[in-house]
Amino acid sequence: MKLNRLAISEEGFIFDPETGNSYTVNETGLLILKKLREGLGPEEIAKAMSEEYEVSREEALRDVQDFLETLARFGLWEEKAWLR
Amino acid sequence: MVKVAVSGINAVDNPGPGLGIIKGLREGKTPVSVVGLAYDAMEPGIYLTDLIERAYLLPYPSEGEVPFLNRLLYIKEREGLEVVIPALDAELPLFIDLEPRLSAYGLRTFLPTQKQFRLRAKDRLSTVAEAIGIKTPETLAVTSYEEFTRALSRLRFPVMVKGLFYRALKAYTEAEARQHFQAIAAEWGYPVIVQEVVEGEEMNVVGVGDGEGGHFGLMAIKKLWITSLGKIWTGVTVTHPGLLTAAENFVKHFRWRGAFELETIVSGDEIYLIEINPRFPAWIYFAVGVGINLPERLLKAALGEEPERDWDYPAGKLYIRFTDDLVTDLEVFQHMVTRGER
Repeated sequence: MKLNRLAISEEGFIFDPETGNSYTVNETGLLILKKLREGLGPEEIAKAMSEEYEVSREEALRDVQDFLETLARFGLWEEKAWLR
Repeated sequence: MVKVAVSGINAVDNPGPGLGIIKGLREGKTPVSVVGLAYDAMEPGIYLTDLIERAYLLPYPSEGEVPFLNRLLYIKEREGLEVVIPALDAELPLFIDLEPRLSAYGLRTFLPTQKQFRLRAKDRLSTVAEAIGIKTPETLAVTSYEEFTRALSRLRFPVMVKGLFYRALKAYTEAEARQHFQAIAAEWGYPVIVQEVVEGEEMNVVGVGDGEGGHFGLMAIKKLWITSLGKIWTGVTVTHPGLLTAAENFVKHFRWRGAFELETIVSGDEIYLIEINPRFPAWIYFAVGVGINLPERLLKAALGEEPERDWDYPAGKLYIRFTDDLVTDLEVFQHMVTRGER
């Protein structure tokens, strides 16, 4: 998984050592990235988010999916990656 | 103390590699005394006396072999020169031809062969790329206006119009491409190279081949910020496995000897070879800064010693170029103009 190669700082600065690209994410993005790297799927991440923040599971799931689309656009995520 | 001469000390807006090489040599374990070789009395390196102990003007390579060799031998005699590290494309063929004679006079180099040097011609790119397992953008070499017109009809815009060795201009329309074609044919002659533009990340690899298929270290970077001349101003180290493998294939397949730089565009999983430089790039100090002192390793190779071969470096190291000012007396300029040395 491409996410595994990323260097992720606690401040939300992300560096890709292969492409040299860097990104910034907010606290929520950072949480999603960490959970993805732990191998969690979108549903499980949405559950964790709804427990952490005052947000419904449905809303959290939409946010996770939006975030995954952004990752896919940057070539950092493939839909099937977490199913493996 | 090794007495070493380095050229390319023109640290201007299109900087030569000389100062980066010299900074590397000075940071190495081998103590050096540096002679700067310049083609113009205004080259900034001449005035940087902390980096360059002595400076000499050379005749232009176009003046021919004899004045060039005589000048080098004069400098060797005066300075007790042991090694020369040429850093400019235009002088390299001459240095390569002179290598046996320079060596007979005790002046050492570590250069590619003439055959290797010719690989840098843009019409050879696809052969090189194929041999090392990467791609090139669709490229056509044309030798007439008619051929150029046919080439344009086969390529997608935008295209790059390039001289065989120098100059590259981007064209978004046919009219623009024709203009560039005329300009490049007039300045650099034929063939003119027409090439499709590939979108992606601009990544380069620098290294020193040992001439036997191995190397004394590699390092890859991505350009983050470039000047209007396309020169790197900010960059970051990357560890792109495909790119580094391609560079290893390059030294292995061609048994490359000496310094080189591969310029590529990386687009997803595809790597496109854009240019081969048979020398150090101007950003060579970046490699020194991350612990791979390629200039020093090349010096050792020239001296017949066995250089280090380790090349672990971290991804995410940043390179920042900056401008600087210096105020000095007219005397140095005067000496360079009247005596050709200081």
